[in-house]
Amino acid sequence: MNLILEASNLVKRFQGLVALKHVSFGLMRGEIMGLVGPNGAGKTTLINLISGSLNPTNGEIIFEGNILQQPAFRRARLGIARTFQIAKPFSGMSALDNVAIAALFGSEGQQRTMHHARQFAQQWLDFVGLAHRSSMRADSLGGPDRKRLELAKSLAMKPKLLLLDEVMAGLNQTEIDEVITIIKKMRDQGISILVVEHVMKAIHALCDRVLVLHHGQNIAIGKPSQVLNEPAVVEAYLGKKHA
Amino acid sequence: MNPSLRWFALFGTLAILVAVPWIAPATWVQFGISTLMLATLAQSWSIIGGYTGYASFGGSVFYGLGSYGTAIAMIEYHLPFGVGLILGALVAVTFAVLIGLPVLRLRGHYFAIATLALAQVVPAIVSNLDIAGRNIGLILPLLRNDALFYESALGLLVITTLSIWYISRSRFGFGLMAIRENEDAAAAMGVNTTLYKTLAFAIAALFSALSGGIHAYWITYIDPGGEFDITLNVKMIIMAVFGGPGSVLGPIAGAFLLSGVSEILSFKISSVASLFFGLVIVIAVVLMPRGLADLWHRYKKLGLHYFSENIRENRV
Repeated sequence: MNLILEASNLVKRFQGLVALKHVSFGLMRGEIMGLVGPNGAGKTTLINLISGSLNPTNGEIIFEGNILQQPAFRRARLGIARTFQIAKPFSGMSALDNVAIAALFGSEGQQRTMHHARQFAQQWLDFVGLAHRSSMRADSLGGPDRKRLELAKSLAMKPKLLLLDEVMAGLNQTEIDEVITIIKKMRDQGISILVVEHVMKAIHALCDRVLVLHHGQNIAIGKPSQVLNEPAVVEAYLGKKHA
Repeated sequence: MNPSLRWFALFGTLAILVAVPWIAPATWVQFGISTLMLATLAQSWSIIGGYTGYASFGGSVFYGLGSYGTAIAMIEYHLPFGVGLILGALVAVTFAVLIGLPVLRLRGHYFAIATLALAQVVPAIVSNLDIAGRNIGLILPLLRNDALFYESALGLLVITTLSIWYISRSRFGFGLMAIRENEDAAAAMGVNTTLYKTLAFAIAALFSALSGGIHAYWITYIDPGGEFDITLNVKMIIMAVFGGPGSVLGPIAGAFLLSGVSEILSFKISSVASLFFGLVIVIAVVLMPRGLADLWHRYKKLGLHYFSENIRENRV
């Protein structure tokens, strides 16, 4: 087995609330894994633990064979990139400079000059279809374009592992299809992806496997077509009578 | 304005500023020294407050430490002024790093309050130290050479501004701006936020302290109330914000203009001067909340609409 990421027995407690209870899973190299579950299931907490925004109460996360303990910025340089559920771009700067910052500080960023970083950034704006908006200020971009910008930023970090936190929320059908295409192209570049998503269509279209969280517990893992029809999963989402 | 004309204007202004001590009356030179120092302080504040987004009210602490460091080195240890200046700056930078590490963990208002507390506490400590002359103060060797002080203050402002210009287009500057815009996102993108914030705080402290050191030697008599003057913080912030924080020349323009206004007002109508000064600032905040730098860039495009747009945005 060639695992890029392995979580074992992850526990996260916020004072009285246990957000994650003994969650374990492994992500294969080049795999897209979906992370689903009702609101408050602990999906974003799990993303935060992997990216280093939070530290686990218990358990460990292993990335490429090493236990992750370093602060968020070092994990970013190791090749772990993330998007944020609420896309908050660097609003006063141009779209290009937003991505250039990722190119300057991401996994190979230390060797890049400002000039190279901007060139590299332009490449990723092209990739997500934002080339024509590169000189616009980030806060003048609309919702869908901000999502694209988030993707371009995370890609410019040259990640090995990408954590996508609800990049499709608020998009219409056409836009969702576009983002699905972009994410597939990301995988083709060899990036392993963990994707939190409520849009089931996207989960089916993208994911090799899904991990279902409910009240902080891992209640199912496997192929989307199987897992999402399991009674326990349906119950978690829709309540007992539908199961 | 085309680039060559802009450089011409910049160097022309600089040449006039350099020549001031030889062409202007003595009172102008003295006004010039304090204005140049305020401009340096506004620029220092812009590094931590404008570029990094951490609104510090502690600039007076570093100014005072630089001032006292220089004075003590010269009086107690009979060191030359230059060495004293460097020692004073060293004290301030060390203090900025030590205090910055815990204080820069606070965000927003909490950071502002913590630095404001520092601005209160440090002078209280200094006024109880024998080596600092307690609350009586210290007297430095007398040097009557306003032209020299003027040129030193101008030189310091130029060095500060060149540093900011360099920072604003460097990897470091981009990291600072990322922290200002969204610190969590910056860290997730690989910016070492703790290191960058602390460095920005230390650089701001460095230039404030150098300014304080020059001030001490110029004014020759220093006391805690004067060198750790808390209203300095308000002045540097207002000047930087008025000019445009996070722009290279904005804070200088703010400092020059506001010092000029305040000087003219207190000359003409001394009793109600501060009232008018307040009025000028209120009007400026309403009409151009993003400062002179923003006015400069966007007035050309929008004309008078620039002001009406800001009024609408302010919902006055």
